[in-house]
Amino acid sequence: MVRGPQGQIDDAILVQELVRGSETALEALYDRHAAGVFAQAYRLTSDRGIAEEVVQDAFLRLWNRAESFDPSKGSLAAWLYAVAHNRSIDRLRAARRRPDLVAPGFAAGSGADSAEATDRLGSGGIVVGGAAPTPGPEEAATAAARSDAIRTALAALPDVERTVILLAYQAELSQVEIAERLGWPLGTVKTRTRRALLRLREALGAEYMPGGEFEAVPASAGVDR
Amino acid sequence: MDHEATCELLELAALEPGGLDRLMAGDTVAAQAVAGHLAGCPSCSDELARLSIASTFIRADLRELPAPELRDRTLATVRAMGVSRGQLPSSDASTPTVVVGGPSGRPRLGWIATIAAAIALSVVATSLVVGQRSEDQVATQAGTMAVLEDVIQATVAITSRSDVQRVSLVGTTDSTLEGSVAFSPSSTQLIVVATGLKTPPAGQEYRFWVQINGARKRVEKMVVGPNLAYWVGPSSAISRVSERAAFGVSLVDINRQGAATDPVLIGGL
Repeated sequence: MVRGPQGQIDDAILVQELVRGSETALEALYDRHAAGVFAQAYRLTSDRGIAEEVVQDAFLRLWNRAESFDPSKGSLAAWLYAVAHNRSIDRLRAARRRPDLVAPGFAAGSGADSAEATDRLGSGGIVVGGAAPTPGPEEAATAAARSDAIRTALAALPDVERTVILLAYQAELSQVEIAERLGWPLGTVKTRTRRALLRLREALGAEYMPGGEFEAVPASAGVDR
Repeated sequence: MDHEATCELLELAALEPGGLDRLMAGDTVAAQAVAGHLAGCPSCSDELARLSIASTFIRADLRELPAPELRDRTLATVRAMGVSRGQLPSSDASTPTVVVGGPSGRPRLGWIATIAAAIALSVVATSLVVGQRSEDQVATQAGTMAVLEDVIQATVAITSRSDVQRVSLVGTTDSTLEGSVAFSPSSTQLIVVATGLKTPPAGQEYRFWVQINGARKRVEKMVVGPNLAYWVGPSSAISRVSERAAFGVSLVDINRQGAATDPVLIGGL
């Protein structure tokens, strides 16, 4: 079995397993690449609903056309991102919407240069010229590290806190709406969302935040009601 | 208002879209109290600035993460609509798998493939139109594809229910006509698709109906596209379906009630 630097099974091996009908391989590939595919689609469309549809399209296409993936021509991530890009444009066309302005660096992804990305975006009808400039390497590295810190802290949250913070920031529900959806008392929702926010802020710390450090979250912060 | 109360209001506002801006607008009693406190409290003003930046970072980052439940939805979509491959076991034994061959004995994937074929036709058509560089037509075709994809999503939603029942429809006079019905009595959700139906003559339309104990109940007018005719939605008639129920599609004058004409497509449980 071929494994990558972190001991992961190589994507190409998983695709071979997928061709044989392995749902386990599909699940592993989803866990590895879905976040990237979703982010790609969301950056292009600014629409979480469309981005979710694009993720489903991309993995259905991977399942149906796994034989067409040739690892000698590029990574699976690049293959999936290309599918996500095309499907995002299709969806926007169907909705008769213009794509959002996208800086070349966003579309390029790792390992691609801006000129190549500009060509691809131009051929796809994406407007690039008015987009905000691509962040420099240092800024991009800081943003990536900040993102890692947030996601690591999110994964470490207790389930109840992760649930409410995602409903607040992903689904953009109000505290009252979260309470209704989960059937929890409003006070409990407020306590848990505040505590989750404090933990995520702590993860950002001084390193990724201008203006100083945050105090550690005390164990007694907030009491469930 | 003291520090603690101010911080609590700020944090709760930071959790809602535009919440801090609304709080700072000062158009409520609480907001005015917060503004009054902030005016004389540098530490809380600093806290507001830090909170605003942190919540912006966190919101932007979490918005780019897929919702956890998308994983199950995506895997279910692949199971329902993916091509058939030699099945190897899933890592999760409790995960439901698609049973090819439902209660009616008809392969579950077969009729979904009907829709997939229609989409494939649309894709081909789109490619041809792209070659002619007709943007309006491209948009029209893309719209058609989006509709078809919506039909598929409804199909997946209905066929994933435990009480789903399926019916095959066959042409009564034209063997090239075929269709399928899937419905869930408990949810009353129903989808019917048909291929081969031509655009109805002016003044007429195709209507889908259910016949129970000899009484025919019109469900709805079929939407006829270039490659696929369909209807999807709730129907109270479905909740009363028995083993002797019949299903069909008839061509009916628009001004006429019901669907009491000879069917062009028919099937039964």
